[in-house]
Amino acid sequence: MDCNTCDTAPAVVINKPDVVDVDLTITEKAKEMLSSAFGDDMSHSLLVGVLSGGCSGYMYDLQIVESTDQDCQVVEIDGFKVLVPNATSHLLDGIEIDYIDRLMGGGFKINNPNASSSCGCGESFS
Amino acid sequence: MGVVKLDAYVLIVRGKDALKLINGLSTNKVEASCSTVFTTNAAKIIDMASVIVTDDCIALVGHNPYKEDLLAHISQKILNQDITIGDATASNNVYLSTTEITPPGSVTISHTFRGWLMVAPTSVEITTNMSQSEFDDYRVENMIPMQGFEITPKNHPLACGLGHLVHESKGCYLGQEVLARMRSRGKQGKELVRLPNPVENATTVGKKNSLVIQRVKNN
Repeated sequence: MDCNTCDTAPAVVINKPDVVDVDLTITEKAKEMLSSAFGDDMSHSLLVGVLSGGCSGYMYDLQIVESTDQDCQVVEIDGFKVLVPNATSHLLDGIEIDYIDRLMGGGFKINNPNASSSCGCGESFS
Repeated sequence: MGVVKLDAYVLIVRGKDALKLINGLSTNKVEASCSTVFTTNAAKIIDMASVIVTDDCIALVGHNPYKEDLLAHISQKILNQDITIGDATASNNVYLSTTEITPPGSVTISHTFRGWLMVAPTSVEITTNMSQSEFDDYRVENMIPMQGFEITPKNHPLACGLGHLVHESKGCYLGQEVLARMRSRGKQGKELVRLPNPVENATTVGKKNSLVIQRVKNN
């Protein structure tokens, strides 16, 4: 392989999906859990992202952050700031953020109308 | 044996997230140069590719007729990672040698389960000295599946003799749940076998034997 030819190899155009204005909801249980996670400091935000990978192709990525360098849109619900990266907005429009309280497999859960299937553990979707 | 020219694509993948993306979308543990299989959610094959890791890029070498499907599949999964893909198919030829040889310096060589894969700039002449029927016979006798014959979108990797490219403990990847379930339950449905000629529904016909994908007995 001639690396000179590789440098001039025509780039494959990767179609970036359109940015969608995300509409999302948070269940009462999830709000309770977010309140206890944030405490009194409501300056933090919940970052809801998507990474490629997992058994079904995409994985949710939830983080509580002070700020992010990702290009995000901010959705504010009852004082909670939710950050959604524009690059993954098409996968997250219409989601419901829920909290499942159980010993195994408990925690925040995303109910996503855009997902055609999800893996057994619920962390990845397609 | 000898050297054949393959109908192959050469994609150049660059960026700090490139290896991680390839690893997350394919069946083998991709940490260095290796062969791996890109599969759908249902574990059906999109393509088998040789991953060649060099100092400044990663080359993905696969079956040219499957290139567009693979690109569409990978592109969807690139969200905000640092990854670029270039198509170097037109500027390189791909050969397979069944024995170890020393090619000119500008040729990249990688040892794979099929033989020695060589990616050569089009300006470099590499002499082919193996006919298609000789190559088919080599594949039959060594149980080597090939795209378009055994490795097709209708099959999953375990059915077409690519089980050794399905890593058992690498973690999640697309198609992993289906393949792990087949393995843990011992039910892979079909398998690649070599049978003496004549063979009905053979995928590759050799001189004495042929390859065929058939239902696993007692499965």
